[in-house]
Amino acid sequence: MSILTFIVIGLVMGAVFGLALEKSRVFEPGMILGQMQLRNFIMLKVFLAATATGLVALAVMTAAGWTGLHLKAVQVLANVIGGLLLGAGITLAGACPGTVIAQIGAGYRDAWATLAGGLAGTLAFGYLQPDLEPIFTAAGPGKLSLADVLGLPFWGVALIAAALLIGGMVALERWRPWRGALGADFDGDLRGGPRSATSHLGGQGVPAE
Amino acid sequence: MLPKLTDKAWSPYLAGIVIGLLQIPAFLLIDTALGASSSYVKVAGHFAALFDGGVGAHPYFAKYMEASKYWWQLALVIGIGLGALASARLGGARRQAVSPVWAGALGSPSPVRRYAIAFAGGFILLFGARLAGGCTSGHGISGLAQLSLGSAIAVAAMFAGGIATALIAFRRI
Repeated sequence: MSILTFIVIGLVMGAVFGLALEKSRVFEPGMILGQMQLRNFIMLKVFLAATATGLVALAVMTAAGWTGLHLKAVQVLANVIGGLLLGAGITLAGACPGTVIAQIGAGYRDAWATLAGGLAGTLAFGYLQPDLEPIFTAAGPGKLSLADVLGLPFWGVALIAAALLIGGMVALERWRPWRGALGADFDGDLRGGPRSATSHLGGQGVPAE
Repeated sequence: MLPKLTDKAWSPYLAGIVIGLLQIPAFLLIDTALGASSSYVKVAGHFAALFDGGVGAHPYFAKYMEASKYWWQLALVIGIGLGALASARLGGARRQAVSPVWAGALGSPSPVRRYAIAFAGGFILLFGARLAGGCTSGHGISGLAQLSLGSAIAVAAMFAGGIATALIAFRRI
């Protein structure tokens, strides 16, 4: 495929991704910070639904022999330290590397500062990487999935994991219904009182007084 | 009731399913998993090349500047911005320059403070993602969908770091 084809496929897939991030409101800083403050669970719900769907899709695609997995090698120290920094950055920025671009698209100006910081952080990491690699890279187990550890076929473990995630989502939704987490302006800001946004979602309009 | 492009909000489960289904074209057409943070290495590398002629041979940057799949991922990330722009316009959502939640979380309405924290947060965000080998998409959505143990470690650390930072740095709103 030509590079142009890669770019066109990327733009189309990205537009769908951006639409889903915006419509779910998960791109809102108020949702992402709210998740880390454990008072808003929209981010976890999108994350679990995307993961469960991916598990089922990959179970089918690998069992059919259409594709193989693209696992990343286990590097405990880099995964832990990098993950901690990534999480701290998500909270401070109120964004992830993908959602910050959705924030720019939706009109948040401070997301440009997050993007600039992100590119600066990438430059810093890239130039330090040859020095960091010997510290963080150890002889580990390599690319490893839970299915390898259990000695079971990927598709079977993936479908069981997806079923467990679906059960978790059902419980999560009973505990914290998603409509109650939107906020009056759909930004996860509930300080004006947890006004349900149901009336904006169509169907039942606000009854006349 | 079917979801519409003009809705202000969709169910997070529907949106998650849409995102998860994007793994199908990612694996079958591009032979990779969904991700976002590698595209930052590509952009940073091409930017550095303006000042540093040796970056094209740099052991870290070179790979991201050459392989076709990083063109795909950069286009994906740009597409995210375009899709969010279209969705926000269709839904009629108007956003302020800075989300109102920050004044409450920071205890200060100062935009300068917010922009400074956004820059610092972005720096740590990508430094951490590159060190960990992926972000919320690559390790999170894609790694966990492959039952990757390294990704499970990174995602657990990500939530631990995020929750701890929220407790230390911000007011609960």
